[in-house]
Amino acid sequence: MATSVVEDALANSPDDHGKFIPAKLGRWSPITVISALSTCVPLLVLIGILTILFKKAYPAIKYNGGGFLIGRNWRPGNFYANPVTTNGVQHPLLASYGALPLIIGTLESSVIALIFAIPLSVGAAVIVAKKLHPRLRGFVGAFLELLAGIPSVVFGLWGALTLGPLLSRDIYPVIASHAPNIFILKYFRGSTGAGEGLLTSSLILGIMIIPIIASTTRDLIAQVPRLAEEGAFALGMTEWEVTRKVTFPWISAGVIGATVLGFARALGETMAVAMVSGVVLGSYPTNIYGTFTTIAATIVSQLDSALTDATGLAVETLAEAALILMLITLLANVGARLLVRRVASTSLPIGRGV
Amino acid sequence: MKDLVIDREEDPGNKTSQRTDVSTSRTILNVRHLDIGFGDKHVIQDVNLAMPTGSIVSLIGPTGSGKTTFLRSVNRLNDKVSGFWTKGSINLLDQEVLSKEIDLLELRRQVGMLFQRPNPFPMSIKDNVLAGIKAHKMAPRAAYKEIVQDALEKVGLWKAVYDRLDDSPFRLSGGQQQLLCLARSLAVQPKVLLLDEPTSALDPISVEAVENLFSKLVPEITFIVVTHSLAQAKRISDYTMFFFDGKLMESGVTSEIFENPQMPETQFYISGRIG
Ligand SMILES: Nc1ncnc2c1ncn2[C@@H]1O[C@H](COP(=O)(O)OP(=O)(O)OP(=O)(O)O)[C@@H](O)[C@H]1O
Ligand SMILES: [Mg+2]
Repeated sequence: MATSVVEDALANSPDDHGKFIPAKLGRWSPITVISALSTCVPLLVLIGILTILFKKAYPAIKYNGGGFLIGRNWRPGNFYANPVTTNGVQHPLLASYGALPLIIGTLESSVIALIFAIPLSVGAAVIVAKKLHPRLRGFVGAFLELLAGIPSVVFGLWGALTLGPLLSRDIYPVIASHAPNIFILKYFRGSTGAGEGLLTSSLILGIMIIPIIASTTRDLIAQVPRLAEEGAFALGMTEWEVTRKVTFPWISAGVIGATVLGFARALGETMAVAMVSGVVLGSYPTNIYGTFTTIAATIVSQLDSALTDATGLAVETLAEAALILMLITLLANVGARLLVRRVASTSLPIGRGV
Repeated sequence: MKDLVIDREEDPGNKTSQRTDVSTSRTILNVRHLDIGFGDKHVIQDVNLAMPTGSIVSLIGPTGSGKTTFLRSVNRLNDKVSGFWTKGSINLLDQEVLSKEIDLLELRRQVGMLFQRPNPFPMSIKDNVLAGIKAHKMAPRAAYKEIVQDALEKVGLWKAVYDRLDDSPFRLSGGQQQLLCLARSLAVQPKVLLLDEPTSALDPISVEAVENLFSKLVPEITFIVVTHSLAQAKRISDYTMFFFDGKLMESGVTSEIFENPQMPETQFYISGRIG
């Protein structure tokens, strides 16, 4: 009853109410200022990068126009002929850029990488967190983190010299000759190439992002309150039901976050893809084994020759491509945030200690 | 009526006191020479007890005396705790709980558990109530609505949540969450409910409501309640068992334990001098 008396008193005297909340005092305290500033820094950096990139890319945006997003040719033009000026932009003769194959290649390889990586990472995390003996758990966990630290050029080299040739010799042909000619599976048919291409790149990307998703998921699983899981066991649920109905919902928002981190890593991964994609400009792969390229791989492989373009358009075009890559990454983040909000609103104990 | 709690057959001069009221009522739980430990730590020592079907039994005793450990062994919830071991026998509903062959999932359907703190699942209120029903495939979809309402009405939560069955349970108050967990346990029609200080998170009015619910459900469901509230033990339980330092010190009809305790430790404890 005591509390309700206090509550009544508070409710009936709005003037006194303010005394209990020292809001004015707290508003401009040093801590508030510092935290406000430090919140702004990443935002400012982001805006700064976008602005610089946009300025650098501006002539290319003007020259390439909307066709850049839907065109598929990548023709730097004739660097030795006299430059031409169109729309106030100086450019080599016959220069024409379309980035659609790069954009699609970037999205395709990253999405396929996620399709591999998500089940493997989550599965690995569940096994590490729930099945392994505590001692082994630490060992495997350390191994996972080690995997995350391997330089991408090493992955690239391994993919180009070992994994790619191996797959294209022993595995791809088997899949290709057995895949039925229906739906998505028809893209698994046809020529399997020498190991460079979309599937090999996606596999390498997948392996690279597994540690990111798996180690985060493992940490999240360890944080699920035991009481909730025990309640499910006590109700007679199987291990799998408990994992599916209690553990996963509890961590889903975090796993989505980790997945986006992995996705962003895959979207932007440069070196490894440059080494195993084949970097084919201006065309799409006709099946899942085909050579292709991504935005990041194109930038790194084309920069050298682009610098020889005296008009600067080639470099500006690469900046435009980089801008698009950044926007794709940002969009993925926003999308994930919306998804997290939807998932969280239905069931998660956000803001409530349990 | 005086049912037996412990029969004396295997009590050769044990220094713990066990009442010998003879009875013919069926026992639902029969524990023989039970020892439990975690690694080197011997937590429960040679516990022998029997509980009659359809009663409320409270387990009392000082903190660390092994009540929770014992309770969690009855539905084998300790299995996953590292170092956990048992010896002896726990016979529940005519099955040997400690045997390897037992159907654990079915055992746990028949033996519900309510924890000290509420532990709703991360799913809607409705799905919380249905979780066990779905896991055990106990009812067709068409019956879900009725089951949910039924279980929530039983625990007195229906009026508070009928218009937000699809909401998160974590927005309910702590007491309401506990009632939801109780509804979830009741939905699968258990024969025994294990409760570990189930009302310590509830306000007095909810405590009374829950206690009344127990007595209403009692012939169909046998309640084994760990409680630190001696008043509660006195109020609700037919039998009381006093645990002390991993042993069952004394057990019997509640009124006799409280009015005429045999062992000095029991006397101390119920007069508030231990624990
Ligand atoms: N997982 C474990 N590993 C080791 N020892 C444990 C473990 N769980 C419980 N114990 C020990 O077993 C003993 C009994 O614990 P238990 O939780 O059963 O006591 P309790 O009677 O329920 O106490 P309380 O009234 O405080 O809840 C304690 O000494 C405790 O330290
Ligand atoms: Mg306890």
